[in-house]
Amino acid sequence: MSFRLTPLQRRSIFLCLMAAPAAIHVAVFALYPILRGMGFSLFQMNLMQPWIHHFVGLRNYTDALTDPTVRRSLVVTIIFTVGCVAAELVCGLCLALLLWRDSAFNRFATTLMLVPITVTPIVVGLIFRALLDPSFGLIGYWLLQAGLAPPQGLLGDTHTALATMMGIDVWEWTPLVALILLAALKALPADILDAAEIDGAGGTRRLTRIILPMLLPSLFLVLALRFTDVFRTYDIVFAATAGGPGDSTNLLMLLAAKEGLTFFDIGYGSAISILMTLCIVLMVALLIVTLRSLDRRMNQA
Amino acid sequence: MSRRLSRPTLVAQRSAVIIALVVFLAPVLWLALTAYEPSRAIQSTPPLPWFVPGLANFVIIAQQFDLAKLTLGSAVISAGSTLLSLLLGIPCGYALARARHRGAIILAYVFLAIRGVPTVVTLIPFYLFMRQIHLLGTWWAVILMNATLSTAFVAWMMYTAFRTVPTEIEDAAIVDGCGGFGAFWRVALPLVRTSVVASALLCMMFAWNDYLNPAFLTRAETRPLSVALLTAFGGPTTSSWGTLGAMAHISTIPIILVALVLNRFLVAGLIRGVH
Repeated sequence: MSFRLTPLQRRSIFLCLMAAPAAIHVAVFALYPILRGMGFSLFQMNLMQPWIHHFVGLRNYTDALTDPTVRRSLVVTIIFTVGCVAAELVCGLCLALLLWRDSAFNRFATTLMLVPITVTPIVVGLIFRALLDPSFGLIGYWLLQAGLAPPQGLLGDTHTALATMMGIDVWEWTPLVALILLAALKALPADILDAAEIDGAGGTRRLTRIILPMLLPSLFLVLALRFTDVFRTYDIVFAATAGGPGDSTNLLMLLAAKEGLTFFDIGYGSAISILMTLCIVLMVALLIVTLRSLDRRMNQA
Repeated sequence: MSRRLSRPTLVAQRSAVIIALVVFLAPVLWLALTAYEPSRAIQSTPPLPWFVPGLANFVIIAQQFDLAKLTLGSAVISAGSTLLSLLLGIPCGYALARARHRGAIILAYVFLAIRGVPTVVTLIPFYLFMRQIHLLGTWWAVILMNATLSTAFVAWMMYTAFRTVPTEIEDAAIVDGCGGFGAFWRVALPLVRTSVVASALLCMMFAWNDYLNPAFLTRAETRPLSVALLTAFGGPTTSSWGTLGAMAHISTIPIILVALVLNRFLVAGLIRGVH
Protein backbone atom coordinates (compact mmCIF):
# COMPACT_ATOMS: atom_id res chain seq x y z
CA MET A 1 0.00 0.00 0.00
CA SER A 2 1.81 3.04 -1.23
CA PHE A 3 -1.04 5.55 -0.72
CA ARG A 4 -3.64 6.05 2.01
CA LEU A 5 -6.96 7.84 1.78
CA THR A 6 -7.73 10.62 4.22
CA PRO A 7 -10.81 10.00 6.42
CA LEU A 8 -12.65 12.74 4.52
CA GLN A 9 -11.96 11.06 1.16
CA ARG A 10 -13.02 7.71 2.55
CA ARG A 11 -16.21 9.32 3.82
CA SER A 12 -17.08 10.79 0.41
CA ILE A 13 -16.38 7.50 -1.35
CA PHE A 14 -18.60 5.73 1.17
CA LEU A 15 -21.47 8.22 0.63
CA CYS A 16 -21.13 7.91 -3.15
CA LEU A 17 -21.34 4.13 -2.85
CA MET A 18 -24.48 4.48 -0.73
CA ALA A 19 -26.18 6.71 -3.30
CA ALA A 20 -24.94 4.87 -6.37
CA PRO A 21 -27.40 1.90 -6.55
CA ALA A 22 -30.47 4.16 -6.44
CA ALA A 23 -28.94 6.63 -8.89
CA ILE A 24 -28.05 3.82 -11.31
CA HIS A 25 -31.49 2.24 -11.01
CA VAL A 26 -33.25 5.53 -11.69
CA ALA A 27 -30.91 6.31 -14.58
CA VAL A 28 -31.47 2.93 -16.26
CA PHE A 29 -35.20 2.45 -15.62
CA ALA A 30 -36.49 6.05 -15.58
CA LEU A 31 -34.12 8.48 -17.27
CA TYR A 32 -33.25 6.14 -20.15
CA PRO A 33 -36.94 5.45 -20.97
CA ILE A 34 -37.73 9.18 -20.71
CA LEU A 35 -34.91 10.02 -23.12
CA ARG A 36 -36.08 7.29 -25.48
CA GLY A 37 -39.61 8.69 -25.22
CA MET A 38 -38.25 12.09 -26.21
CA GLY A 39 -36.60 10.37 -29.18
CA PHE A 40 -39.85 8.59 -30.17
CA SER A 41 -41.72 11.89 -30.10
CA LEU A 42 -39.65 13.04 -33.09
CA PHE A 43 -40.72 10.08 -35.23
CA GLN A 44 -43.87 8.97 -36.91
CA MET A 45 -44.10 5.42 -35.64
CA ASN A 46 -46.82 2.96 -34.79
CA LEU A 47 -46.33 -0.48 -33.29
CA MET A 48 -49.30 -1.80 -35.28
CA GLN A 49 -47.60 -0.75 -38.52
CA PRO A 50 -43.90 -1.36 -37.83
CA TRP A 51 -42.90 -0.53 -41.42
CA ILE A 52 -43.78 3.15 -40.82
CA HIS A 53 -40.82 4.80 -39.12
CA HIS A 54 -39.86 8.26 -40.36
CA PHE A 55 -38.17 11.15 -38.70
CA VAL A 56 -40.68 14.01 -38.65
CA GLY A 57 -38.91 16.52 -36.41
CA LEU A 58 -41.30 18.51 -34.24
CA ARG A 59 -44.40 17.67 -36.29
CA ASN A 60 -45.95 15.53 -33.55
CA TYR A 61 -45.67 18.54 -31.23
CA THR A 62 -47.19 21.01 -33.69
CA ASP A 63 -49.93 18.46 -34.43
CA ALA A 64 -50.65 18.06 -30.73
CA LEU A 65 -50.70 21.79 -30.06
CA THR A 66 -53.12 22.44 -32.92
CA ASP A 67 -55.30 19.38 -32.23
CA PRO A 68 -58.61 20.62 -30.72
CA THR A 69 -58.93 17.35 -28.72
CA VAL A 70 -55.58 17.96 -27.04
CA ARG A 71 -56.46 21.58 -26.32
CA ARG A 72 -59.81 20.67 -24.77
CA SER A 73 -58.07 17.96 -22.82
CA LEU A 74 -55.47 20.43 -21.54
CA VAL A 75 -58.21 22.80 -20.33
CA VAL A 76 -60.05 19.91 -18.64
CA THR A 77 -56.82 18.73 -17.00
CA ILE A 78 -55.96 22.18 -15.65
CA ILE A 79 -59.48 22.75 -14.24
CA PHE A 80 -59.42 19.26 -12.72
CA THR A 81 -55.96 19.66 -11.18
CA VAL A 82 -56.38 23.15 -9.72
CA GLY A 83 -59.93 22.46 -8.49
CA CYS A 84 -59.09 19.12 -6.87
CA VAL A 85 -55.89 20.30 -5.18
CA ALA A 86 -57.58 23.45 -3.82
CA ALA A 87 -60.61 21.54 -2.51
CA GLU A 88 -58.46 18.77 -1.02
CA LEU A 89 -56.26 21.32 0.73
CA VAL A 90 -59.21 23.21 2.26
CA CYS A 91 -61.17 20.08 3.25
CA GLY A 92 -58.01 18.35 4.49
CA LEU A 93 -57.03 21.33 6.63
CA CYS A 94 -60.54 21.59 8.14
CA LEU A 95 -60.52 17.88 8.91
CA ALA A 96 -57.04 18.07 10.44
CA LEU A 97 -58.08 21.02 12.65
CA LEU A 98 -61.18 19.08 13.73
CA LEU A 99 -59.09 16.07 14.74
CA TRP A 100 -56.24 18.04 16.31
CA ARG A 101 -57.20 17.74 20.00
CA ASP A 102 -55.85 14.48 21.37
CA SER A 103 -58.62 12.21 22.60
CA ALA A 104 -59.58 8.56 22.24
CA PHE A 105 -62.47 9.52 19.98
CA ASN A 106 -60.23 11.53 17.64
CA ARG A 107 -57.56 8.82 17.50
CA PHE A 108 -60.22 6.28 16.56
CA ALA A 109 -61.68 8.60 13.89
CA THR A 110 -58.18 9.23 12.46
CA THR A 111 -57.63 5.49 12.10
CA LEU A 112 -60.92 5.04 10.24
CA MET A 113 -59.98 7.93 7.91
CA LEU A 114 -57.29 5.65 6.50
CA VAL A 115 -59.89 3.42 4.83
CA PRO A 116 -60.57 5.49 1.65
CA ILE A 117 -56.80 5.78 1.00
CA THR A 118 -56.44 2.00 0.98
CA VAL A 119 -59.24 1.31 -1.51
CA THR A 120 -57.93 0.64 -5.02
CA PRO A 121 -58.52 3.78 -7.16
CA ILE A 122 -60.10 1.68 -9.94
CA VAL A 123 -62.65 0.45 -7.39
CA VAL A 124 -63.30 4.00 -6.15
CA GLY A 125 -64.21 5.03 -9.69
CA LEU A 126 -66.55 2.07 -10.06
CA ILE A 127 -68.21 2.57 -6.64
CA PHE A 128 -69.23 6.11 -7.55
CA ARG A 129 -70.28 5.09 -11.05
CA ALA A 130 -72.77 2.70 -9.42
CA LEU A 131 -73.89 5.01 -6.61
CA LEU A 132 -74.55 7.87 -9.03
CA ASP A 133 -76.29 5.76 -11.68
CA PRO A 134 -79.68 7.36 -12.41
CA SER A 135 -81.61 4.07 -12.61
CA PHE A 136 -80.27 1.91 -9.77
CA GLY A 137 -77.75 4.07 -7.89
CA LEU A 138 -78.57 4.77 -4.26
CA ILE A 139 -77.63 8.44 -4.66
CA GLY A 140 -78.24 8.92 -8.38
CA TYR A 141 -81.81 7.60 -8.38
CA TRP A 142 -82.99 9.83 -5.56
CA LEU A 143 -81.17 12.88 -6.92
CA LEU A 144 -82.98 12.33 -10.22
CA GLN A 145 -86.33 11.94 -8.45
CA ALA A 146 -85.67 15.15 -6.54
CA GLY A 147 -84.87 16.89 -9.81
CA LEU A 148 -81.30 17.62 -8.68
CA ALA A 149 -79.53 15.61 -11.40
CA PRO A 150 -79.79 15.49 -15.20
CA PRO A 151 -81.60 12.44 -16.70
CA GLN A 152 -78.31 10.73 -17.67
CA GLY A 153 -77.01 11.05 -14.14
CA LEU A 154 -74.30 13.36 -12.78
CA LEU A 155 -71.53 11.40 -14.54
CA GLY A 156 -73.48 11.02 -17.79
CA ASP A 157 -74.07 14.69 -18.53
CA THR A 158 -71.39 16.82 -20.18
CA HIS A 159 -72.15 19.78 -17.90
CA THR A 160 -71.84 17.97 -14.58
CA ALA A 161 -69.40 15.11 -15.29
CA LEU A 162 -66.17 17.03 -14.67
CA ALA A 163 -67.33 18.61 -11.39
CA THR A 164 -68.62 15.24 -10.19
CA MET A 165 -65.34 13.54 -11.12
CA MET A 166 -63.51 16.21 -9.12
CA GLY A 167 -65.77 15.49 -6.17
CA ILE A 168 -64.79 11.81 -6.37
CA ASP A 169 -61.08 12.62 -6.41
CA VAL A 170 -61.55 14.95 -3.44
CA TRP A 171 -63.37 12.15 -1.60
CA GLU A 172 -60.50 9.77 -2.18
CA TRP A 173 -57.56 12.02 -1.31
CA THR A 174 -58.81 14.45 1.37
CA PRO A 175 -58.02 11.92 4.14
CA LEU A 176 -54.36 11.66 3.06
CA VAL A 177 -54.03 15.46 3.02
CA ALA A 178 -55.73 15.60 6.44
CA LEU A 179 -53.36 12.95 7.84
CA ILE A 180 -50.21 14.76 6.68
CA LEU A 181 -51.47 18.12 7.99
CA LEU A 182 -52.61 16.52 11.25
CA ALA A 183 -49.14 15.07 11.72
CA ALA A 184 -47.70 18.53 11.13
CA LEU A 185 -50.19 20.21 13.52
CA LYS A 186 -49.29 17.76 16.27
CA ALA A 187 -45.62 18.58 15.82
CA LEU A 188 -46.15 22.34 16.31
CA PRO A 189 -44.43 23.72 19.43
CA ALA A 190 -47.09 24.06 22.16
CA ASP A 191 -45.48 27.06 23.91
CA ILE A 192 -45.98 29.38 20.93
CA LEU A 193 -49.63 28.34 20.62
CA ASP A 194 -50.22 28.84 24.34
CA ALA A 195 -48.52 32.25 24.26
CA ALA A 196 -50.78 33.34 21.40
CA GLU A 197 -53.81 32.23 23.35
CA ILE A 198 -52.77 34.05 26.50
CA ASP A 199 -52.15 37.18 24.40
CA GLY A 200 -55.83 36.94 23.54
CA ALA A 201 -55.49 36.30 19.81
CA GLY A 202 -58.86 35.11 18.47
CA GLY A 203 -59.41 31.80 16.66
CA THR A 204 -59.18 33.13 13.10
CA ARG A 205 -56.22 35.35 13.90
CA ARG A 206 -54.38 32.47 15.52
CA LEU A 207 -55.03 30.34 12.45
CA THR A 208 -53.93 32.84 9.79
CA ARG A 209 -51.11 34.56 11.70
CA ILE A 210 -49.52 31.73 13.64
CA ILE A 211 -50.67 28.26 12.65
CA LEU A 212 -50.68 28.59 8.85
CA PRO A 213 -47.23 30.25 8.58
CA MET A 214 -45.77 27.49 10.75
CA LEU A 215 -47.49 24.86 8.59
CA LEU A 216 -45.99 26.20 5.35
CA PRO A 217 -43.37 23.42 4.89
CA SER A 218 -46.02 20.71 5.19
CA LEU A 219 -48.48 22.66 3.04
CA PHE A 220 -45.74 22.74 0.42
CA LEU A 221 -45.21 18.98 0.69
CA VAL A 222 -48.95 18.37 0.32
CA LEU A 223 -49.28 20.75 -2.62
CA ALA A 224 -46.29 19.30 -4.47
CA LEU A 225 -47.45 15.73 -3.80
CA ARG A 226 -51.06 16.36 -4.84
CA PHE A 227 -50.28 18.61 -7.84
CA THR A 228 -48.03 15.99 -9.40
CA ASP A 229 -50.41 13.14 -8.57
CA VAL A 230 -53.68 14.81 -9.62
CA PHE A 231 -52.15 15.99 -12.87
CA ARG A 232 -51.48 12.39 -13.90
CA THR A 233 -54.74 10.91 -12.59
CA TYR A 234 -55.74 7.89 -14.61
CA ASP A 235 -57.34 5.05 -12.67
CA ILE A 236 -60.44 6.64 -11.11
CA VAL A 237 -61.46 8.55 -14.23
CA PHE A 238 -60.79 5.56 -16.47
CA ALA A 239 -63.08 3.45 -14.27
CA ALA A 240 -65.83 6.03 -13.73
CA THR A 241 -66.27 7.69 -17.13
CA ALA A 242 -63.36 6.59 -19.38
CA GLY A 243 -63.05 10.25 -20.42
CA GLY A 244 -66.68 10.75 -21.43
CA PRO A 245 -69.37 11.79 -22.00
CA GLY A 246 -67.93 13.44 -25.10
CA ASP A 247 -64.55 14.82 -24.05
CA SER A 248 -65.81 16.28 -20.80
CA THR A 249 -63.51 14.29 -18.48
CA ASN A 250 -60.85 13.34 -21.03
CA LEU A 251 -57.72 14.15 -19.00
CA LEU A 252 -54.36 14.39 -20.80
CA MET A 253 -53.20 11.21 -19.12
CA LEU A 254 -56.14 9.27 -20.55
CA LEU A 255 -55.55 10.81 -23.97
CA ALA A 256 -51.83 9.97 -23.95
CA ALA A 257 -52.52 6.42 -22.73
CA LYS A 258 -55.15 5.95 -25.46
CA GLU A 259 -52.82 7.15 -28.23
CA GLY A 260 -49.71 5.38 -27.01
CA LEU A 261 -50.92 2.21 -25.32
CA THR A 262 -54.21 1.43 -27.09
CA PHE A 263 -53.63 2.75 -30.64
CA PHE A 264 -49.84 2.20 -30.32
CA ASP A 265 -49.25 5.56 -31.98
CA ILE A 266 -45.96 5.83 -30.11
CA GLY A 267 -44.70 9.07 -31.66
CA TYR A 268 -47.84 11.08 -31.02
CA GLY A 269 -48.49 9.56 -27.59
CA SER A 270 -44.91 10.35 -26.54
CA ALA A 271 -45.21 13.94 -27.75
CA ILE A 272 -48.35 14.47 -25.64
CA SER A 273 -46.61 12.91 -22.63
CA ILE A 274 -43.55 15.14 -23.00
CA LEU A 275 -45.83 18.19 -23.22
CA MET A 276 -47.53 17.01 -20.01
CA THR A 277 -44.14 16.73 -18.31
CA LEU A 278 -43.28 20.29 -19.33
CA CYS A 279 -46.63 21.49 -17.90
CA ILE A 280 -46.09 19.77 -14.57
CA VAL A 281 -42.49 21.03 -14.24
CA LEU A 282 -43.77 24.56 -14.95
CA MET A 283 -46.59 24.23 -12.40
CA VAL A 284 -44.31 22.92 -9.64
CA ALA A 285 -41.70 25.61 -10.37
CA LEU A 286 -44.45 28.25 -10.11
CA LEU A 287 -45.60 26.68 -6.85
CA ILE A 288 -42.09 26.78 -5.37
CA VAL A 289 -41.60 30.44 -6.35
CA THR A 290 -45.01 31.49 -4.97
CA LEU A 291 -44.51 29.66 -1.68
CA ARG A 292 -40.98 31.07 -1.28
CA SER A 293 -42.24 34.64 -1.58
CA LEU A 294 -45.23 33.85 0.66
CA ASP A 295 -42.86 32.37 3.24
CA ARG A 296 -40.67 35.46 3.14
CA ARG A 297 -43.64 37.81 3.52
CA MET A 298 -45.36 35.85 6.29
CA ASN A 299 -42.21 35.37 8.34
CA GLN A 300 -41.28 39.03 8.06
CA ALA A 301 -44.63 40.20 9.37
CA MET B 1 -53.73 20.85 22.35
CA SER B 2 -54.98 19.47 25.61
CA ARG B 3 -57.24 22.29 26.78
CA ARG B 4 -60.73 21.29 27.80
CA LEU B 5 -63.42 22.30 25.36
CA SER B 6 -66.80 23.62 26.44
CA ARG B 7 -69.62 21.12 26.08
CA PRO B 8 -71.32 22.72 23.01
CA THR B 9 -67.98 23.00 21.17
CA LEU B 10 -67.24 19.37 21.92
CA VAL B 11 -70.64 18.27 20.63
CA ALA B 12 -70.20 20.35 17.47
CA GLN B 13 -66.71 18.93 16.89
CA ARG B 14 -67.84 15.34 17.42
CA SER B 15 -70.85 15.67 15.11
CA ALA B 16 -68.69 17.23 12.39
CA VAL B 17 -66.22 14.34 12.67
CA ILE B 18 -69.03 11.79 12.61
CA ILE B 19 -70.53 13.37 9.47
CA ALA B 20 -67.08 13.27 7.83
CA LEU B 21 -66.67 9.61 8.80
CA VAL B 22 -70.06 8.74 7.28
CA VAL B 23 -69.14 10.53 4.04
CA PHE B 24 -65.79 8.74 3.83
CA LEU B 25 -66.91 5.27 4.90
CA ALA B 26 -70.43 4.86 3.46
CA PRO B 27 -69.38 4.32 -0.18
CA VAL B 28 -66.86 1.65 0.85
CA LEU B 29 -69.44 -0.01 3.06
CA TRP B 30 -71.94 0.00 0.19
CA LEU B 31 -69.50 -1.87 -2.05
CA ALA B 32 -68.76 -4.35 0.72
CA LEU B 33 -72.49 -5.04 1.08
CA THR B 34 -73.09 -5.58 -2.67
CA ALA B 35 -70.85 -8.63 -2.47
CA TYR B 36 -73.64 -10.38 -0.54
CA GLU B 37 -76.43 -9.11 -2.77
CA PRO B 38 -77.82 -10.95 -5.82
CA SER B 39 -77.07 -8.92 -9.00
CA ARG B 40 -80.73 -8.52 -9.87
CA ALA B 41 -81.35 -6.80 -6.56
CA ILE B 42 -78.41 -4.41 -7.05
CA GLN B 43 -79.62 -3.18 -10.42
CA SER B 44 -83.30 -2.75 -9.59
CA THR B 45 -85.12 0.56 -10.10
CA PRO B 46 -85.84 2.12 -7.68
CA PRO B 47 -82.96 0.87 -5.50
CA LEU B 48 -84.19 -1.65 -2.91
CA PRO B 49 -83.84 -0.64 0.73
CA TRP B 50 -82.96 -4.20 1.78
CA PHE B 51 -82.03 -7.62 0.35
CA VAL B 52 -81.53 -11.23 1.35
CA PRO B 53 -77.78 -11.75 1.75
CA GLY B 54 -76.09 -14.65 -0.04
CA LEU B 55 -72.64 -15.81 -1.01
CA ALA B 56 -73.36 -16.41 -4.72
CA ASN B 57 -70.93 -13.69 -5.85
CA PHE B 58 -68.07 -15.27 -3.94
CA VAL B 59 -68.82 -18.63 -5.56
CA ILE B 60 -68.78 -17.00 -9.01
CA ILE B 61 -65.40 -15.33 -8.56
CA ALA B 62 -63.92 -18.47 -7.02
CA GLN B 63 -64.97 -20.36 -10.17
CA GLN B 64 -63.96 -17.67 -12.64
CA PHE B 65 -60.59 -16.70 -11.19
CA ASP B 66 -57.57 -18.43 -9.79
CA LEU B 67 -57.75 -16.32 -6.63
CA ALA B 68 -54.65 -17.83 -5.02
CA LYS B 69 -52.57 -17.01 -8.07
CA LEU B 70 -53.92 -13.45 -8.33
CA THR B 71 -53.23 -12.83 -4.65
CA LEU B 72 -49.75 -14.26 -5.10
CA GLY B 73 -49.23 -11.88 -8.02
CA SER B 74 -50.27 -8.88 -5.93
CA ALA B 75 -48.16 -10.04 -2.97
CA VAL B 76 -45.02 -10.65 -5.05
CA ILE B 77 -45.36 -7.36 -6.89
CA SER B 78 -45.98 -5.22 -3.82
CA ALA B 79 -43.42 -6.99 -1.60
CA GLY B 80 -40.82 -6.96 -4.38
CA SER B 81 -41.38 -3.29 -5.25
CA THR B 82 -41.31 -2.25 -1.59
CA LEU B 83 -38.17 -4.22 -0.72
CA LEU B 84 -36.28 -3.03 -3.79
CA SER B 85 -37.31 0.60 -3.19
CA LEU B 86 -36.25 0.47 0.46
CA LEU B 87 -32.98 -1.26 -0.38
CA LEU B 88 -32.11 1.39 -2.95
CA GLY B 89 -33.83 4.42 -1.42
CA ILE B 90 -32.75 4.31 2.25
CA PRO B 91 -28.94 4.34 1.71
CA CYS B 92 -29.41 6.96 -0.98
CA GLY B 93 -31.51 9.18 1.32
CA TYR B 94 -28.81 8.81 3.99
CA ALA B 95 -26.07 9.81 1.56
CA LEU B 96 -28.11 12.83 0.39
CA ALA B 97 -28.67 13.97 3.98
CA ARG B 98 -25.00 13.63 4.96
CA ALA B 99 -23.21 14.77 1.82
CA ARG B 100 -22.04 18.38 1.76
CA HIS B 101 -21.54 18.40 -2.00
CA ARG B 102 -23.80 20.46 -4.28
CA GLY B 103 -24.34 17.39 -6.48
CA ALA B 104 -26.35 15.83 -3.65
CA ILE B 105 -28.99 18.56 -3.77
CA ILE B 106 -29.21 18.27 -7.54
CA LEU B 107 -29.69 14.50 -7.23
CA ALA B 108 -32.44 15.06 -4.61
CA TYR B 109 -34.31 17.37 -6.99
CA VAL B 110 -33.89 14.91 -9.88
CA PHE B 111 -35.59 12.31 -7.67
CA LEU B 112 -38.46 14.70 -6.90
CA ALA B 113 -38.84 15.47 -10.61
CA ILE B 114 -38.90 11.75 -11.52
CA ARG B 115 -41.94 11.37 -9.26
CA GLY B 116 -43.71 14.14 -11.15
CA VAL B 117 -43.25 12.60 -14.59
CA PRO B 118 -46.53 11.07 -15.81
CA THR B 119 -46.40 7.28 -15.99
CA VAL B 120 -47.27 7.16 -19.68
CA VAL B 121 -44.07 9.02 -20.57
CA THR B 122 -41.99 6.18 -19.19
CA LEU B 123 -44.48 3.37 -19.73
CA ILE B 124 -44.29 3.26 -23.54
CA PRO B 125 -40.46 3.19 -23.79
CA PHE B 126 -40.29 0.97 -20.69
CA TYR B 127 -42.67 -1.51 -22.35
CA LEU B 128 -40.41 -1.70 -25.42
CA PHE B 129 -37.29 -1.90 -23.23
CA MET B 130 -38.72 -4.83 -21.25
CA ARG B 131 -39.66 -6.56 -24.49
CA GLN B 132 -36.10 -6.14 -25.70
CA ILE B 133 -34.56 -7.71 -22.60
CA HIS B 134 -37.29 -10.40 -22.46
CA LEU B 135 -38.77 -9.35 -19.13
CA LEU B 136 -42.13 -8.24 -20.53
CA GLY B 137 -44.97 -10.14 -18.87
CA THR B 138 -42.92 -11.11 -15.81
CA TRP B 139 -43.29 -9.80 -12.26
CA TRP B 140 -39.81 -8.29 -12.64
CA ALA B 141 -41.09 -5.82 -15.22
CA VAL B 142 -43.71 -4.39 -12.83
CA ILE B 143 -41.36 -4.47 -9.83
CA LEU B 144 -38.64 -2.59 -11.70
CA MET B 145 -41.16 -0.03 -12.96
CA ASN B 146 -42.76 0.55 -9.53
CA ALA B 147 -39.35 0.72 -7.91
CA THR B 148 -38.27 3.66 -10.07
CA LEU B 149 -41.15 5.80 -8.79
CA SER B 150 -40.97 4.46 -5.23
CA THR B 151 -37.18 4.67 -4.92
CA ALA B 152 -37.40 8.37 -5.70
CA PHE B 153 -40.13 8.70 -3.07
CA VAL B 154 -38.27 6.70 -0.39
CA ALA B 155 -35.00 8.55 -1.04
CA TRP B 156 -36.81 11.88 -0.59
CA MET B 157 -38.65 10.77 2.59
CA MET B 158 -35.47 9.33 4.14
CA TYR B 159 -33.45 12.38 3.10
CA THR B 160 -35.75 14.58 5.20
CA ALA B 161 -35.84 12.01 8.03
CA PHE B 162 -32.06 11.55 8.31
CA ARG B 163 -31.56 15.31 8.41
CA THR B 164 -33.35 15.34 11.79
CA VAL B 165 -30.73 12.96 13.25
CA PRO B 166 -27.86 14.95 14.78
CA THR B 167 -24.53 13.99 13.20
CA GLU B 168 -22.69 14.16 16.54
CA ILE B 169 -24.02 10.75 17.61
CA GLU B 170 -22.78 9.17 14.40
CA ASP B 171 -19.40 10.93 14.64
CA ALA B 172 -18.98 9.48 18.12
CA ALA B 173 -19.81 6.01 16.81
CA ILE B 174 -17.25 6.38 14.00
CA VAL B 175 -14.56 7.45 16.50
CA ASP B 176 -15.44 4.36 18.55
CA GLY B 177 -14.48 2.29 15.52
CA CYS B 178 -17.95 1.63 14.20
CA GLY B 179 -17.05 2.52 10.61
CA GLY B 180 -19.15 4.56 8.21
CA PHE B 181 -21.60 1.79 7.44
CA GLY B 182 -21.88 0.80 11.11
CA ALA B 183 -22.79 4.37 12.03
CA PHE B 184 -25.52 4.30 9.42
CA TRP B 185 -26.79 0.80 10.18
CA ARG B 186 -26.53 0.66 13.97
CA VAL B 187 -26.96 4.33 14.98
CA ALA B 188 -28.86 6.39 12.40
CA LEU B 189 -31.23 3.80 10.93
CA PRO B 190 -32.84 2.68 14.23
CA LEU B 191 -33.57 6.35 15.04
CA VAL B 192 -35.67 6.83 11.89
CA ARG B 193 -37.48 3.50 11.89
CA THR B 194 -40.93 5.15 11.96
CA SER B 195 -40.10 6.90 8.69
CA VAL B 196 -38.92 3.59 7.22
CA VAL B 197 -42.22 1.95 8.15
CA ALA B 198 -44.26 4.91 6.86
CA SER B 199 -42.51 4.95 3.49
CA ALA B 200 -42.70 1.15 3.23
CA LEU B 201 -46.44 1.31 3.90
CA LEU B 202 -47.04 3.99 1.26
CA CYS B 203 -44.89 2.11 -1.31
CA MET B 204 -46.75 -1.08 -0.62
CA MET B 205 -50.17 0.55 -0.91
CA PHE B 206 -49.18 2.14 -4.19
CA ALA B 207 -47.86 -1.11 -5.68
CA TRP B 208 -50.79 -3.18 -4.42
CA ASN B 209 -53.42 -0.79 -5.81
CA ASP B 210 -51.81 0.32 -9.06
CA TYR B 211 -53.67 -0.61 -12.21
CA LEU B 212 -51.95 0.97 -15.21
CA ASN B 213 -48.44 -0.50 -14.84
CA PRO B 214 -49.42 -4.16 -14.26
CA ALA B 215 -52.22 -3.93 -16.86
CA PHE B 216 -49.62 -3.30 -19.55
CA LEU B 217 -46.60 -5.13 -18.18
CA THR B 218 -48.05 -8.48 -17.02
CA ARG B 219 -49.68 -11.35 -18.87
CA ALA B 220 -52.49 -13.69 -17.82
CA GLU B 221 -50.32 -15.87 -15.53
CA THR B 222 -48.65 -12.99 -13.70
CA ARG B 223 -51.70 -10.72 -13.29
CA PRO B 224 -52.34 -9.11 -9.88
CA LEU B 225 -55.71 -8.52 -8.17
CA SER B 226 -55.91 -4.84 -9.18
CA VAL B 227 -56.09 -5.83 -12.85
CA ALA B 228 -58.48 -8.73 -12.23
CA LEU B 229 -60.87 -6.33 -10.47
CA LEU B 230 -61.83 -4.78 -13.76
CA THR B 231 -62.24 -8.20 -15.36
CA ALA B 232 -64.46 -9.27 -12.45
CA PHE B 233 -66.60 -6.23 -13.11
CA GLY B 234 -66.91 -7.04 -16.80
CA GLY B 235 -67.21 -4.64 -19.72
CA PRO B 236 -69.29 -1.47 -19.81
CA THR B 237 -72.37 -3.42 -20.92
CA THR B 238 -72.21 -6.51 -18.74
CA SER B 239 -71.47 -4.79 -15.46
CA SER B 240 -71.58 -6.98 -12.42
CA TRP B 241 -71.35 -5.01 -9.20
CA GLY B 242 -71.77 -8.07 -7.02
CA THR B 243 -68.70 -9.90 -8.28
CA LEU B 244 -66.77 -6.64 -8.17
CA GLY B 245 -67.74 -6.26 -4.51
CA ALA B 246 -66.65 -9.82 -3.77
CA MET B 247 -63.34 -9.28 -5.58
CA ALA B 248 -62.81 -5.96 -3.78
CA HIS B 249 -63.09 -7.84 -0.45
CA ILE B 250 -60.12 -9.96 -1.41
CA SER B 251 -58.08 -7.07 -2.76
CA THR B 252 -58.87 -4.54 -0.03
CA ILE B 253 -59.02 -6.45 3.26
CA PRO B 254 -55.29 -7.33 3.42
CA ILE B 255 -54.22 -3.76 2.74
CA ILE B 256 -56.70 -2.28 5.25
CA LEU B 257 -55.44 -4.70 7.91
CA VAL B 258 -51.80 -3.81 7.25
CA ALA B 259 -52.64 -0.08 7.26
CA LEU B 260 -54.58 -0.31 10.53
CA VAL B 261 -51.81 -2.28 12.25
CA LEU B 262 -49.10 0.11 11.07
CA ASN B 263 -51.24 3.26 11.47
CA ARG B 264 -49.25 4.56 14.45
CA PHE B 265 -46.03 4.38 12.45
CA LEU B 266 -47.64 6.09 9.48
CA VAL B 267 -48.58 9.22 11.41
CA ALA B 268 -45.34 9.27 13.40
CA GLY B 269 -43.29 8.75 10.23
CA LEU B 270 -45.10 11.51 8.39
CA ILE B 271 -44.36 13.96 11.21
CA ARG B 272 -40.67 13.26 10.72
CA GLY B 273 -40.94 13.40 6.94
CA VAL B 274 -42.59 16.78 7.16
CA HIS B 275 -40.08 18.53 9.41
